[in-house]
Amino acid sequence: MATLEVSACSRWFGNVVAVNDVTMTIGPGITGLLGPNGAGKSTLIHMLGGFLPPSTGTVTLDGEQVWKNHNVYRTIGLVPEREATYDFLTGWQFALASAELHGLDNPGEAASRALETVAMQDAAHRKIRDYSKGMKQRVKMASALVHEPAVLLLDEPFNGMDPRQRLHLIDLLRKMGANGRTVLFSSHILEEVEQLANRIDVLIAGRYAASGDFRTIRRLMTDRPHRYVVRSDDNRALASVLISDGSTAGVRLGDGVLHIDASEFLRFAEVLPRVAREAGIRLYEVSPADESLESVFSYLVEK
Amino acid sequence: MPYGRCVPVIEIDNLTKQFPGVTALDRLTVEVGTGVTGLVGANGAGKSTLIKILLGLSGATSGDARVLGMDAATEGPTIRQRVGYMPEHDCLPGDMSATEFVVHMARMSGLPPNAARERTADTLRHVGLYEERYRPIGGYSTGMKQRVKLAQGLVHDPELVFLDEPTNGLDPVGRDDMLDLIRRIHTEFGISVLVASHLLGELERICDNVVVIDAGVLLRASSVAEFTRASEQLAVEVTADWDEVADGLVQAGLGIEQEGHLIVVNVADDITYDIVRDTVADMNVGIVRIEPRRHRIAEVFAGGEADVAA
Amino acid sequence: MSQPDAAPAGVIHDIGYRGYQGDRLGRSGIRFALFTHSLRGVFGLGRSGRSKVIPFGLVGVMLLPAVIIAAIVIIGGGVGPVSTPAYAQYAGQLTAATWIFVAVQAPQAVSLDMRFGTLPLYMSRPLTRGDYVVAKIAALTGGVFLLIATPILILYLGAVFAELPLGENSAAAGWAILGAVLYSAMFSGIGLLIASLTSRRGFGIAAIITVLALSYVIVSSMQGAIGHGMGEERLAGWLGLFSPNTLLDGVQVWAFDAGSSSVLPVPDGAGPVFLLVTLLVIGGSYAALAARYRKVRL
Repeated sequence: MATLEVSACSRWFGNVVAVNDVTMTIGPGITGLLGPNGAGKSTLIHMLGGFLPPSTGTVTLDGEQVWKNHNVYRTIGLVPEREATYDFLTGWQFALASAELHGLDNPGEAASRALETVAMQDAAHRKIRDYSKGMKQRVKMASALVHEPAVLLLDEPFNGMDPRQRLHLIDLLRKMGANGRTVLFSSHILEEVEQLANRIDVLIAGRYAASGDFRTIRRLMTDRPHRYVVRSDDNRALASVLISDGSTAGVRLGDGVLHIDASEFLRFAEVLPRVAREAGIRLYEVSPADESLESVFSYLVEK
Repeated sequence: MPYGRCVPVIEIDNLTKQFPGVTALDRLTVEVGTGVTGLVGANGAGKSTLIKILLGLSGATSGDARVLGMDAATEGPTIRQRVGYMPEHDCLPGDMSATEFVVHMARMSGLPPNAARERTADTLRHVGLYEERYRPIGGYSTGMKQRVKLAQGLVHDPELVFLDEPTNGLDPVGRDDMLDLIRRIHTEFGISVLVASHLLGELERICDNVVVIDAGVLLRASSVAEFTRASEQLAVEVTADWDEVADGLVQAGLGIEQEGHLIVVNVADDITYDIVRDTVADMNVGIVRIEPRRHRIAEVFAGGEADVAA
Repeated sequence: MSQPDAAPAGVIHDIGYRGYQGDRLGRSGIRFALFTHSLRGVFGLGRSGRSKVIPFGLVGVMLLPAVIIAAIVIIGGGVGPVSTPAYAQYAGQLTAATWIFVAVQAPQAVSLDMRFGTLPLYMSRPLTRGDYVVAKIAALTGGVFLLIATPILILYLGAVFAELPLGENSAAAGWAILGAVLYSAMFSGIGLLIASLTSRRGFGIAAIITVLALSYVIVSSMQGAIGHGMGEERLAGWLGLFSPNTLLDGVQVWAFDAGSSSVLPVPDGAGPVFLLVTLLVIGGSYAALAARYRKVRL
């Protein structure tokens, strides 16, 4: 069980506070780290990986401090966002170098295993300078996997990957999460985060803004009415029966649909099928308009 | 195989481009009509090669390409007069202001000085750059830089623009804004758009049509409506008692599957909707979602190994 | 007849997107616009204030002696040993200023586009690669020409006002202007070629200065050592082929009968060779520059 604990951690660079008093726990499974540009995600990931010390607070893995702790480095793999600049090496050489630097007993075997995991074994003998962006990402991943770390940290790993490579990586990370590894990845592509992550952590301007399952987070935003788009066989009649209940804050007739603002999420959800049945109205479609991670995220950012 | 509108903006016929060791395009044949068209590639070399050929900057090994009715092999400069291009990579000088830079680019597209100035001012407004346009580009955020890149591609009033990964590096809010802007380029400015992107969700959102190329060959070209047509299934999400609801539906004769927190119901006929509604109401459970399942562009890629050579 | 209390009028103007149906310049118009833009950039105009310092400083350095000489000639009333100022040697004597100018402005003209990756934006326009190169060459050559020719003009005006012999002076100044064309063509060609090989401006500046200045220093020293020191003046004279300055000086001395600004004069009969080599270097550097840009990726 590899659990990362961040405790009252801040990191500043001169007057710029990149990470501001963050306390969080990252356990096994897949966690998505979200935040606007400049929110401190990369800084946090580098601290988790032991590449940066916190200015205050602690970052520990199963109780042991991460910074400058060689034992801990053996259990963590970091895939940074910045491009690797070893363009003159081949993929194989790069993975091998990483394996040797980790002091593994059988670096060659570890390197080729890692390359196979990321499906780069055939292209491994070409120089990195000839790789596409997606291939470079995969080779970076291989070098972070050579020592089979229990914790894998990835900074914008899907950047530049085409759809096939993306599906492949999602699959790979899913398997790793299912195997009990602790995987943390940051991304701007919320759709992928939704698909892949068991839970999310949101950083905004260095502060820890929210965490957990995003649907649960949405339910917690009680000051914002839930918006729905409903299609039925009699929208107007449905509108009138809904508005007579307190859980509906507003209804608006649109182009063949009904837009509803629900002030009480749970009650509205229970009221809707009931009153529809009583009035004999068929519900063709009930779509939460702002249940997505996107809207949850933009709400958090606006705060 | 044509689809969408009748006026093809790009016609590609048996286009092949070979490099030593790699075939970037392999007898590609496809037509692109007006509107917003997405270009998805599962091979980096194919996409940039294709754009170079369409701009008349590179010759094909064999086959034809016509842009706005002109032959890409022989009428390159004329094509480039009427086409705009927003590259994927960084391409903006850090020491010039957005205004200076876009005016210069407008002049480079052939606009006389006064027209260049006026159109720059207008175009920067349309892409959403205000006072910042007078500051050097070096200090801009990623979102602002992307807007400048877009502005230089639009300032000369092209008929068609190529956008290469326009949301690269943007955070979710910036991404949203850029996608809305791209949609407006067609709906409000009347300019056709070819968007190259890896992000299928975005393409589903803003494109009328999508062309999928895999290893240099056309995998599929259809309208987004066709790619995301409704399937015969319904995604149902309830607030509680998932198992009981599922059992209730099965007992009422419906075929169902589980998918995470969703119950996917096979729609036999319209009565299915009533059964769902009534089952949920009977159990005093809340309904969060009843949504027709749609197909996704991503399905085109299901199966097949990740392309190692690219 | 207006009514005294007509209803208030209101209008909403459409400031949405406008198309452009006006003139569009062809390739030659665009090439010219790039030429003017680059020429302005050569003198630091159109970019940050800092980039004006060196060009204008060097303009000052180049002009000042000419102004002073012209003033002396005018004030001296045409009396004195000088009946024609040394037009053709001026460029050679102040060559250090020209070296610095080319070294700093050649990278400014081409390295920035490479460093910032702007070339794809040019290439996606009606401009061809060849147009781009031609415009840049013309701009830097034009700029260097202005730098060299203006002092010559000032000297000439001084001579005219001082009523020095008009025929001799006009001829000498005219030939010097022609020499200025060769100087500017050669320095620009070499400078742009070197600058186009790197996107780092600093490297470009250093490399150009090295090629221009170091070659001159080496050739001059060797000419001094071999020519004067060992008495092998003829052989040493031929060494002049190996640095741009001595090469151009040799051409001017032979072709226009100008005075020399080099350590050693051109050996007899070597004149045509010097001219040929000069033209080859100029043509060669332009061709290499064009070839360099053919390989640039979109």
